Amino acid sequence: MVNFTVDQIRALMDKPTNIRNMSVIAHVDHGKSTLTDSLVSKAGIIAAAKAGDMRFTDTREDEKERGITIKSTAISMYFEVDKEELSAIKQQTDGNEFLINLIDSPGHVDFSSEVTAALRVTDGALVVVDCVEGVCVQTETVLRQSLGERIKPVVIINKVDRALLELQVSKEDLYQSFSRTIESVNVIISTYLDAALGDVQVYPEKGTVAFGSGLHGWAFTLRQFAARYGKKFGVDREKMMGKLWGDNFFNPATRKWSTKSTDADGKPLERAFNMFVLDPIFKIFECTMNFQKEKLFSMIEKLDVKLTSDERDLEGKALLKVVMRKFLPAGDSLLEMIVINLPSPRTAQRYRVETLYEGPLDDESAIGIRDCDPKAPLVCYISKMVPTSDKGRFYAFGRIFSGTIRSGPKIRIQGPNYQPGKKEDLFVKSVQRTVLMMGRYVEPIEDCPAGNIVGLVGIDQFLLKTGTLTTSETAHNMKVMKFSVSPVVQVAVEVKNAADLPKLVEGLKRLSKSDPCVLAWIADTGEHIVAGAGELHLEICLKDLQEDHAGVPLKISDPVVGYRETVKAESSIVALSKSQNKHNRLYTKAMPLAEELTQAIENGKINPRDDFKVRARVLADEYGWDVTDARKIWCFGPDTTGPNLLVDVTKGVQYLNEIKDSCVAAFQWATKEGVCAEEIMRGVRVNVLDVTLHTDAIHRGGGQIIPTMRRSTYAACMLADPSLQEPVYLVEIQCPENAIGGIYSCLNKRRGQVFSEEQRPGTPMFTVKAYLPVMESFGFNGDLRQATGGQAFPQSVFDHWELMNGSPLEKGSKLEELVKSIRTRKGLKPDIPPLDSFYDKL
Amino acid sequence: MFYVIGLGLCDEKDITIRGLEAIKGSSRVYLEAYTSILMVPKERLEAFYGKELILADRDMVETESDEILRRAATEDVSLLVVGDPFGATTHTDIILRARAQGIPTRVIHNASIMNAVGACGLQLYSFGQTVSLVFFTESWRPDSFYDRVRENAELGMHTLVLLDIKVKEQSEENLVRGRKIYEPPRYMSIPTAVSQLLEVEESRKAGILAPDTTLAIAVSRIGGGEGNERIVAGTLAQLCDAPRETFGEPLHSLVIVGKRLHHLEAAYTASYAIDGTKWKEIAQNVYGCNFD
Repeated sequence: MVNFTVDQIRALMDKPTNIRNMSVIAHVDHGKSTLTDSLVSKAGIIAAAKAGDMRFTDTREDEKERGITIKSTAISMYFEVDKEELSAIKQQTDGNEFLINLIDSPGHVDFSSEVTAALRVTDGALVVVDCVEGVCVQTETVLRQSLGERIKPVVIINKVDRALLELQVSKEDLYQSFSRTIESVNVIISTYLDAALGDVQVYPEKGTVAFGSGLHGWAFTLRQFAARYGKKFGVDREKMMGKLWGDNFFNPATRKWSTKSTDADGKPLERAFNMFVLDPIFKIFECTMNFQKEKLFSMIEKLDVKLTSDERDLEGKALLKVVMRKFLPAGDSLLEMIVINLPSPRTAQRYRVETLYEGPLDDESAIGIRDCDPKAPLVCYISKMVPTSDKGRFYAFGRIFSGTIRSGPKIRIQGPNYQPGKKEDLFVKSVQRTVLMMGRYVEPIEDCPAGNIVGLVGIDQFLLKTGTLTTSETAHNMKVMKFSVSPVVQVAVEVKNAADLPKLVEGLKRLSKSDPCVLAWIADTGEHIVAGAGELHLEICLKDLQEDHAGVPLKISDPVVGYRETVKAESSIVALSKSQNKHNRLYTKAMPLAEELTQAIENGKINPRDDFKVRARVLADEYGWDVTDARKIWCFGPDTTGPNLLVDVTKGVQYLNEIKDSCVAAFQWATKEGVCAEEIMRGVRVNVLDVTLHTDAIHRGGGQIIPTMRRSTYAACMLADPSLQEPVYLVEIQCPENAIGGIYSCLNKRRGQVFSEEQRPGTPMFTVKAYLPVMESFGFNGDLRQATGGQAFPQSVFDHWELMNGSPLEKGSKLEELVKSIRTRKGLKPDIPPLDSFYDKL
Repeated sequence: MFYVIGLGLCDEKDITIRGLEAIKGSSRVYLEAYTSILMVPKERLEAFYGKELILADRDMVETESDEILRRAATEDVSLLVVGDPFGATTHTDIILRARAQGIPTRVIHNASIMNAVGACGLQLYSFGQTVSLVFFTESWRPDSFYDRVRENAELGMHTLVLLDIKVKEQSEENLVRGRKIYEPPRYMSIPTAVSQLLEVEESRKAGILAPDTTLAIAVSRIGGGEGNERIVAGTLAQLCDAPRETFGEPLHSLVIVGKRLHHLEAAYTASYAIDGTKWKEIAQNVYGCNFD
């Protein structure tokens, strides 16, 4: 059974050089969970025979039913590397035993936030790519995310068995297909490369690419073959690996290597990869599938593969599986690749600290993180909450970056809104228990030092979704995670029996905890709103809510989409609003922000925590702002981080700094509920042009200024050609040629626009890419299945906000109708309030 | 006719006869009760005036003036204001609105803290600009009053400091959400006020509010009559450290004594001092008063 003990693992936890924290990431259905099985079986947690069928890390019933991963699942494993291989590890190590903390993550775009949460706590990623489908939209998304978190990738090209059995390709075609896939992965890597990571492109000849079949449980890197042939040819192993890839050919007649594909007489030579690597595999497949058992047995004997007598009796695919698994065991080659090529926490935290920590890089916490020091003050980031068997309670799941965590001592639990030196969003509590996350089980451990992934019991009620745990009073927060998806699809839920309401409220709290991305809130109308990244995500969340978190029957409304309010021009006149007591006046103007800048804010490239001088420089150099203006940005909004800016452009106004706070508070409010439909605002800059104030502070407190600033912002927006933006999906559809017609007709009905249609080289599959408004996407998957006879598989990922045509202020326009419907839904008066309810005359 | 009537400082009996007559003839009587409060409940006023009073909070006076002024052109409507209508809080805006609607207006004056502060023994002639001091919050600590105090100090004038009262105030969160949920009333105490003054002095360092050598007088419930009204004089440090009971119930105001302190003023105020000898000593040495 399990070939290691918890004590062994605990001992390894103290050696940060021998830990590898890694996530398995990929496009949906490229075989992550199946592949993870091979790794888990290597550790003896599941029987080797079951690997590939079991999907050990899919712990939920619906995950098993649907065959997709919904939640990311962590598991710790023990791995011993062959002592000979140690020299290949180009970083500090201590002995040949390694602890591998693996997180299997979902591939469906709707669950990308789970991937983000997994990536944060790991340092390396195993990117799984389907050898037939190649690099897909989600492959790109997860790669981009991992590089953004400074996570080093290695690649496995999976489902090679399909290429051999179903497509029956030739060796050279297979080589070309591999090489194309690797090329596309490297294109993505170089696009999103972070200089601090160094060269992280993947190369088969350097052992950072593996090939294999998760389903059959075999995989290899060139390292294994180089070991076999290196001795035979008397060539150094590293050198041999170089020969086994690319344009290297071997002439068996002369026993000479060449870089040309023909020999001296012009006769074609076989590529070394095809000859030495693919040939034995092809032969094994051929013999097994053609029932040439004797030939097979003699061949595998040469390869040192020994079968038991029972196994010799197997036939066909079952035999193939056994032979291949003994010949090239996936667990060994993958774990070896991971240990050799992925960084240890000690290596990784050195370059990750600056992207992880918000505070100054020379405080005690930053230094503790940088050095991965178990004796430094504790810094631990909780990236998600994992439900326990105890209903309604959660393990706080996270990574210790510095110090050691144990039950007992009080620690500081800092939520995302915590500010150093303040008391908001801060709890001081102690952890009840620390546990090791082992997929379906947990194992209690006494304490857990820096560099490890851990589950914590007893602090769930003090955390909303994520947070920073520390023992240092001066510690800042770890940076909050940036999700690639946002909760754009909403539904209203209500209980069928009024008496169940308290259960629903409690259930919504639990739901919100259990998922990094889902949002639940009570609208002003009293409705309970749940928002998710997409239809599937929402469906799963609602199912959990109904069956688990709340456990009561619910009525669920049709999904609605969140819009964004923006402006298209500069306010035509200066917007003036007077305070209630008439002693104060605010003059403002609104104007659109450039789309690039809006996105830069949304991606966190420009953010409120930047040093204002540095930010002003960037705004001036890259976005054409006036430096003086750029230095006087009062705030971002909504939530102090959103893509709207409040800028002070006044000249010499007395007491202005005493009303700044009130203006900032009002701006947060106004940008959260825009003027047209009380939707969130996006891409709007509001300038405060002038202000007249009462001399005495008591007459210009928040009570006077906050409502006035809000009205002034609204007036400025109404004067600036307000409009709405709608969310748009990028849809990627894989299909055979005959299904394309169905796709087009389906998209046309839904305002979709195809912008790319390509055949994947070497396969009959086409990839169609289109933009589809989220509003039109409900039921799209079903329709598409019907229109194409189930041959087309769409993946929709939120792509951008698209400005809608027309003006909501124009009576009878489509946009006005839309705004009215949103307002009615929210329980507001259907008409947009007239300008003079915000704008005061002098 | 739209009357704006000052109620004076203490209780129902402070109203002028002219004011009382106007109330008796009014069809509606509003009581403005957010800028200051009387020391007696509304019911006692109603009993004495023989009229029902409509409480007008800040929101009503500032946003529903039309309701207050309804039919005021043809009948009499009164707005009762604690203190004087043109005292600490001016009600010019509502009078302007009334005038704009062609409604005749009349103001009936009364005592205000602005003149009753003379009770402490300082001459009204020597007062400079009045300032108000608001409750500091975590992030909102307006200190512009300091410049006013300094201007007064430079001219040697006394400064009347009005202390914040929060009646029916919304918390910032509720204000932002637009919810009309009000905080319990709060009144600033003398020690709080002095500690806020000293905090600002600490950061601005102009030396005009030295804790041990600046004289100040705390006046509580002025106009409240014998046994109720209380005046306590001392250095800022003494006032800051004095127990709350020294000053009693709200309302409080504070006077920062200017350098042009007349020896009569000094002698009169000394009787209120926590430590009379020290008061005189500072008046003599720091303020240059000659008691001989």
